[in-house]
This record gives sequence, C-alpha cells and structure tokens, in this order.
Amino acid sequence: MPTISINLKDFAQLLGRPASDNRPVTAEQLEAWLPLVKGELKDQDAETGELRIELQDSNRPDLWSCEGIARQIRIKLEGAAPAYPFFQAAKDQKRRVQVAPGLERVRPYLAACVANGYPVTEEALTQLIQVQEKLADIFGRKRHTVSIGLYRLPAIVFPVTYDLVKPDEVRFTPLGFEEKMSLREILAVHPKGLEYGPIIAGHERVPILHDAEGQVLSLPPIINSREIGEVRVGDQALFVEVTGTDLLMVLLTLNIMAVNLADRGASIEPVDVVYPEATDLGKTIRTPVDFGQARSIPIKMIEAALGQALSADQIRKALLDYGYDASVSRDNVSVKLPPYRNDLMHAVDVVEDVAISRGYSDFSPVMPSQFTVGSLSRVEQVSDRLRDLMVGIGFQEIISNIMASRPELIDRMRLAGTEWDRIVEVENAMTQTFSCLRQAITPSLLKVEAASSRSFYPHRLFEVGEVALFDPTNDAGSRTVMKLGALIAHASANFSEAHSCLDLLLYYLDCPYQLEPLAHPSFLEGRAGRILSQGRPLGLIGELHPEVLEHWQVTMPSVVFELEVDRLGER
Amino acid sequence: MNMTALIDSLHPLEIKVLTALKAEQAKAPSGSLRDDEISQHASLEASQVSMAIGWLLAKSLIRVQHETVTLFVSLTKIGERYFEKYSPVERILSAVRDAGQTGKRLTIQDIQSREGLDASEMSGAIGSLKKEGAIRIVSGGCVEATGSPSPTAESLRTLLQQLRGTKRELTALVEPLRRVVEQHAVKRGNANEPFRIDDHVDRWYVLTPEGECAADLLAQQGPSEEVSQLTPELLKDGSWRTKRFRKYTISLRPPRVLAGKRHPYREFLDLVKHKLVSMGFEEMRGSLVENEFWNMDALYMPQFHPARAIHDVYFVKEPTHARGIDEPFLSQVAAVHRDGGKTGSTGWGYAYDQERARRLVLRSQGTAVSARTLASGPKVPGKYFSIARCFRYDAVDATHACDFFQVEGIVLGPDINFRTLLGLLNLFAVEMAQAKESRFLPAYFPFTEPSVELHVRHPKLNWIELGGAGLFRPEVTLPLGVDVPVIAWGLGLDRMAMVALGIHDIRDLFSTNLDLIRTTRGRF
Repeated sequence: MPTISINLKDFAQLLGRPASDNRPVTAEQLEAWLPLVKGELKDQDAETGELRIELQDSNRPDLWSCEGIARQIRIKLEGAAPAYPFFQAAKDQKRRVQVAPGLERVRPYLAACVANGYPVTEEALTQLIQVQEKLADIFGRKRHTVSIGLYRLPAIVFPVTYDLVKPDEVRFTPLGFEEKMSLREILAVHPKGLEYGPIIAGHERVPILHDAEGQVLSLPPIINSREIGEVRVGDQALFVEVTGTDLLMVLLTLNIMAVNLADRGASIEPVDVVYPEATDLGKTIRTPVDFGQARSIPIKMIEAALGQALSADQIRKALLDYGYDASVSRDNVSVKLPPYRNDLMHAVDVVEDVAISRGYSDFSPVMPSQFTVGSLSRVEQVSDRLRDLMVGIGFQEIISNIMASRPELIDRMRLAGTEWDRIVEVENAMTQTFSCLRQAITPSLLKVEAASSRSFYPHRLFEVGEVALFDPTNDAGSRTVMKLGALIAHASANFSEAHSCLDLLLYYLDCPYQLEPLAHPSFLEGRAGRILSQGRPLGLIGELHPEVLEHWQVTMPSVVFELEVDRLGER
Repeated sequence: MNMTALIDSLHPLEIKVLTALKAEQAKAPSGSLRDDEISQHASLEASQVSMAIGWLLAKSLIRVQHETVTLFVSLTKIGERYFEKYSPVERILSAVRDAGQTGKRLTIQDIQSREGLDASEMSGAIGSLKKEGAIRIVSGGCVEATGSPSPTAESLRTLLQQLRGTKRELTALVEPLRRVVEQHAVKRGNANEPFRIDDHVDRWYVLTPEGECAADLLAQQGPSEEVSQLTPELLKDGSWRTKRFRKYTISLRPPRVLAGKRHPYREFLDLVKHKLVSMGFEEMRGSLVENEFWNMDALYMPQFHPARAIHDVYFVKEPTHARGIDEPFLSQVAAVHRDGGKTGSTGWGYAYDQERARRLVLRSQGTAVSARTLASGPKVPGKYFSIARCFRYDAVDATHACDFFQVEGIVLGPDINFRTLLGLLNLFAVEMAQAKESRFLPAYFPFTEPSVELHVRHPKLNWIELGGAGLFRPEVTLPLGVDVPVIAWGLGLDRMAMVALGIHDIRDLFSTNLDLIRTTRGRF
C-alpha cells in the first residue's frame, strides 16, 4: 500500500480544472472523490498544497501517482475515457531497441517509448521520480521484477542496444558520481550498486543499455548514466525504458509511464523492441502495447453478486465511467480494461468496479435473513466457567502476551536441560523479549507478580489462555492448548491454600482427581504434585522454588497450579 | 454539638475513662488521674487508654490538669559494650599502669594500636585522664601513670554496673555520678557515648465542665450497657433488648476489600463475544502455529505478496515445515494460484511452491481460522466468528503489539451478496459501536472482491474505521469446496476497547501492573 505526495494545484491542472477555472478543487473535494481510487487522505499542508494519500489497492499501480488519481476521477466526471492513440501506432517505428541474446537468463524483457514536446515542469519531475520509485519498489518488488529508466532523448543515437557485457568491459559516470567507473566498481562502491547489485549478481555478464555510438544509458536495474540519464526541469524530449523479469509487468509499467506523460501533454512515440527469439507477444514488440483482451461476463452474474437488478445500460455506463471499454448484448457485457491496468483476474473484479463507479452509497443495505444458531466452542464454554469460578474464589484475572523469551519461560523456571525445556521458538525474532510462544501460564503470572510487589497483598492471580506445547508427533510440531494458571502470593502462601482452591474448583467441575508427588525443578521438592483425573494428567500444583522466585526477583512466597482446560472439557 | 448526640457517639473506651475520672472527682473536687492510674481504675490496657484520651481531648471532654517531666538515664549500645569490654578511659589507665609495673614505656600510638581504639576515643580519654592527674605525658611522647586515682574511671564503672539492663531517674544519682552521666550522654553531634537521657512526661487529666456534664448524663442513663457489635450471643439470649448500640460515624472511608474480578479487557471481549453469539454466530478456533498454506495461500495471497516477507510474519524455528497439506485443497489452491484452476480466474500466473506452503509461521491473521472452517464442511447458511490471537512482526510501541486479538469471521449462504454484506456491516455498526452514523468505503484485501471498509461515527473518536469486509473471491472459496457466496469480515476493536478502558497505550491491554488491572474499570 503506497503512500504518495501530490500537489493540489498540479492535481487540479491534471483534472482539467486549472486555477483559472471557476470550479476550484479543494482538499475536501478531493477527499470526497478518493473512494474512486481506494485512497485515504493521510495529511495535508494547507500552505504548500501538498497532500499525502495512501492508496490501498496493490493491484492498481496505475493509481500511484497524481496523474493516475486525476485520470480515474476525470473519467468519472467526464463520463469518458481519454484517447491514447499511440497504442494503435503505425508500423515501422524509426526508433528501435535491440535485445541481445543471453539476457533471457539475466533480465529478459524491455519496453520503451519516447515522450516528446512537453517541457518537464518541476512538479511533473517530482511526480515522475515518485512514480518511478513506487512502481519499481512496490510493484517491481524492489526492482527485482521491474525497474524504470528516464533519459534525455537528444543525447541518444538510435538504435539502442540492451546488451550483456562483462563488468570490466564498460565504464561510465553514474548518477551521483563525478568520474567514470567500471561496472564492477559501481556494483562494489555506488550506494545503488550495493543496494540493488544482488539482483544481477551471480552472472558472468551484466545488463547494459547503450546507444548506437556506444554511449552508456544505464546499468539496469541499478543506476543511470550521469550524462544521458539525468532528466532536468525544462527537458522537452524523454526516452523511457522499463526492464524486468516478467513481460506483462514490464509492458504494464511502461504503459503507465506513457499515459502519465501523455496526460501532461507529451506526445508519445512508440519504440520497436526486437528480441533474439520470439516472446509470448512475438519477436518484435512495439511498445507501449495494449495487450489486454476483452472478456464476456453474464449480466446475471453481476446482478447476483451485487444483489441489485441493473440494466445492461446501467452496467455499461458504470464501466465506461470507470475507464473500461464496454459493450453489451442482451445477456452479457463484454469488457476490456484500459491499457494501463492489468488486474482483471475474475469477473468479480469487474463487479467491484461497477459498485465503485456507481458509488457504494448507491446500494441500500439488506440484512442477511437466513436463520443461524449462535454458539460458543466447547473449550470457550469451559473456559468461561473456570473464569467465573476463579473470580468467585477471589482471583484477579490476568491477560498476557503469548510471546515471551526463553530466559523467562525456561531459564528462570529452572527448566534448562530438563525434559521440560522444548518450546516453540521464532526464527526471525525482532527482540529476544518476544521470541518464543509460552508453554505455560505460570511465567506470565510471575511477570505480573514481579512487576507488582507494591500492590496490596494478598495476590491471587489467574489466567485462562492459549499456550503452544512443543509436540513432535503433531503435524505442525506443536499443539495449541488452553490452560488455566493460578498463582497465590503473600507472606504465608503455601501449598495447602492452593490445594484448597484447586479442590473447590474441581469439585464444582465435577472432576474427581488425585495428586501424585512430582519432582519438578520449578517447585520445592516434596511440595509439588501432578494433578491426575482418572489416571490422566490434568496439570501441576506446587510451591515455587525459592530460586525461581529469586530469578524473577519476587520476594513473596508463591504457589501455583495449572490445568489443561481442553481435558476438563472432555465429556 | 448536642450533648445527647455526643453521648450516643461515645466509644465504650471513652465512657470507661469518663466514668473513672468522674469517680475520682467525687472523692476530691480537683481529683485528677495520671494515665497509668486511669488504666488501673478503668481496667484498660495502656494503649486503649491512650486512644480514648486522644478522642476525649479532641472532643474537649477532658483536659490536662498538669504535667511533669522526669529524666531517665539508660545505657546505649556503646554503654553496654563498655560494660563488657571496659571504656577507653579504663583501658588506657590499666594499660599505662601495667606498663609502669613492668617498666615498659608506651607512646599514645602504642596504646591506640594495642587497644584497637580510634583516634577520637583516644584523644577524649587521654584528655580527661590527664586533667584528673591520673596520667602524665613525659619526654618522647610516652605516657606514664601518676599513681593518682581516676574518679572518672571509677564513676564510669559504677554507672555501667548500676544501669545495665535498667534505667534510673537522673535525680536519683549522687552528684559526681550525675556529672559524669551528663558529660558522657548522647547529644546532638556526639552519638558515640555510653549513656542516654530520655525524658518521660506524666500528665494528669481532669474532666472539663462538658465532660462532667457528659459523665452525669451517662450516670443517669443507668446501667444499660453500650455495645458496638451485635453478636450471636446477644441474639440468642435476647439480651440485645437491654443494650444500646453505639452510633457509627458513617462518613469515614471504609477499609479496603480485595475482590476476585475478570480482567477489564476480558469484560470488553466477553461483551463482543456475547453480541456475536446473540447475532447467530458460531465460534471457531484455530492454532497459534499455522502453515503458510492456511495462513496465506488458501486466502489467495500470492507467495510473492509483499506482506509475506521475512519482515511481516514470524517464522517458526523448529520444525520449519508442516509434514503435509491436506488434499484436495493443496492441489486445488496451487492450481488457482498458477492459472485460476476451475474458478474462471486467470490466477496469479506464477510457479506455486508447494514447499513454501508447508512453512510454519505464527498465525498472522484470524482469516486463517476462517479458511480452515471453509475447508471443513461449514454449515450453509452459516455464520462464524473467532477472537483469535495473531502475531505480527512489528516493533512494539504504544500502537503496536507483538500479539493481539483479531475479531473476525465469515457468513455463508445463498442469499449473500454485496447488499447483504452492507446490511451485516450496518448491524455491526449498531451492535458493536452503538453508532448512529456509518458509511462504506471501497477497500482492498487480497482475498475479497468487492471489499468494503466500515467507518462509524464514534461518540468520542469521531469517524473511525470499525472494520473491513468483503465477499471472498471465488479463488478462495471454490478450491476449499464452498460454492455459495461468503462474506469475510473483521472488526478492529482495540481502539474502542482502549477508549472504553481509558487507556492510551495498546501494551496496557496486556498490562503486568496489578494495580492498574485491579483499578481499571470499563465504561461499556
């Protein structure tokens, strides 16, 4: 979900309502239109007119620029899509990019075009750089699948070659540096080389873009040449190129760049990209290219999904208002996305666009009418009973994080190296504090006890919550179990008090039990037991070992018991 | 204060003290009693008398007639040590005398190190012995006994013996002893002395005119005994009829009671849970550790989705992978990702990695539970919810927790469509947020289309996003064997909970501060 900055004046201009227009565009007005692009106004600077907008739809990269947002809204206001005649360009383009063999193993695809006759303004340059970054970073997965280069056209002599060279063969001056460097040096020294170099690492030869006279345009997807690849305010003719690993994504990205420039007044001239072998779209691809295909969708399907009767014309109108090419027959609507979109996977995608185009407020809510019975799961029912009983016995409920640390769960409990020391651990922990899933409730309660020595005593704490038990026999290597843990802490807390509470609790649950002596490192020897019900282990009870209390810096005698709630729920 | 009301409010201890003083006054008009005498006459403990005297003084029913101050002498810790190990004066004198007999010559430093005395003790003791003429300093800084006695040393020994384990009135000591005591008593700036002088104040109390009046009234009221506590005995033998019950001052703060209590956040979650059940939702539960298949793949999130990276989800260290994924779900989901399978979708168009599908993660979204439910033959029509603990790779701060509850679920049925989705959200707005105003905005979730955000006007927070919802994509439902439309919904309730609980830091929802947990009360 990218967040972009746009300038309100620039937006108004692109919308066809410059400052001279008698219908000025305000930030409030823009905000009212934002549902059309799934945008949310994050903040604004009233003085400069800068607005920050978050765009939610990760499948709509065409909206990640001022041009894109303005376009979608303009279509709705004008009821017609803009014409982009360059997608139907005549054959035989004078400008050509030759793709060298071998690139199919490194970074196979390229698309390019020329934007002429529009002197780049400061605001346009800001947007060009922003959209280039957002597309390459988010849509292009940090330039892995897609990256974009912009160049000053007059410096380039066609045909251009998308070539493969050895890193020491070629030298050029990269952006941000003063002198010529070899490709190897750029990869080793330049900040962009260090950041994006790994994308093309592991190949003997690396991609390079150079013109007919051998001038380097760029080292894709890393860095442009300082001489040709630095666009400045006032430049009137640009060369735009996109390289990447996925043909359709590369083509789509170029289409977006092309329509954005066209919306600003540039005349787009296609470029022929010639591959050594045939691609899915042939050996020569004239880019930008409209590769979208029409799909036929039953009107009934749209009506059923929306829950509203719509005429064929209403559907067609909604789609045209949203930039589609649409025509209807009696039962079906034939739709085609504009060339800057490629997010139609299923008919439901069209359904949503119909709804957005008409406005969600156009659909009156209807309550689902079918009868269903509400209920709680068995384990939740038992948990609720346990909570009620524990509260009645005088315990304060605690709710804790399930994530904890190994020192808390194992070391402080004196369990390291024992049969109890396996827990679920996280591979990519951000901090040690939250790097494991708790296997017991007692450490959570001790955490509260340790932080609350100044709170009025006695302390009687409990938590009914989930834990993860390490269990190699389970498919996921662990089991999620609901446990009750209780802790009593005060100057004379002892086994007998905890036993009384446990006894009362299990009496009300109608669960006969016995205690069996247990040697467990967390407890004082001879003062701990396993709770058994009909021969099956149900939990533990005991006086915590003074060393455990010391580890937690708890200075009150503490006694605990834990029960597996799932086992109490068995009927 | 009205005298009758005053009398009614008297504590039994106060009455006993008043009565004792009244009796003494009857013997002699100016008859007064010392507090220990009161305690004898009224047969009360000293502490009870002191409490009652405090109350009666505050009510001006008695006053202090006169008081005397007596000084007592006792040994300090140092004094006790001197008794056992002798004082520096005694030790120096005896050391010097011993040396004189054997012809040894001792310097001050020799004595100090031999006796282990510190410099201040040395100089004080040498000073007073020299002044008395019991020792002299000769050439070479050596100390000699003169043969004269040391009155100080003798007095000290007498006092240490007499005061050991007891205390005596200062005036009872004979003059030379008293002077030694005064010289060697603990004072401000000199704590290292063997004696302590404490003053003890004796006070004599008499009734004030109001006190006399009260005592007279008490006498008239006769023998009917006043009691403070109704007891089983009083009830059994009916003797309560002859008793008067002391009236309480009920405006005082009561003593503190500790209660067993649900956690304040639990009270909120229970409310949510019961609302959902009352709306016909059935609870579903899942596992904290999930595999990527159910956590993400089944929800049509492509394996290259940015939110699946190492910096968004927690991966389990061991084992790293689940053993297997149930068929036919694995094949069907794989097909949908690849080319849409039989769903009419184009799919994501990439090579689906079945190994990746088995990778174990900490559940990052409650929707994983919904996916499992869809695959397990859910009821149609059916409504399900879960309040599931989820884990996100986020730096923990006031607005981000490492694990948190997500409230979400699904609604399945042949009548489900975009408008019933809006209807359900309207119901949530009213039931969950008591919202009078709500609005729907287009939204994006990888697994729903169309997708909606529900915004409501909250009485305190103005417009807030209450939840997100949508119709599950066919790419989600069909591979899991569900062929009716399904609403997926999720509610973001933590901000509402924080407002209801009056807290500002999301970490306080799982606070470890017992005082905070005990005192937080929800306003639901």
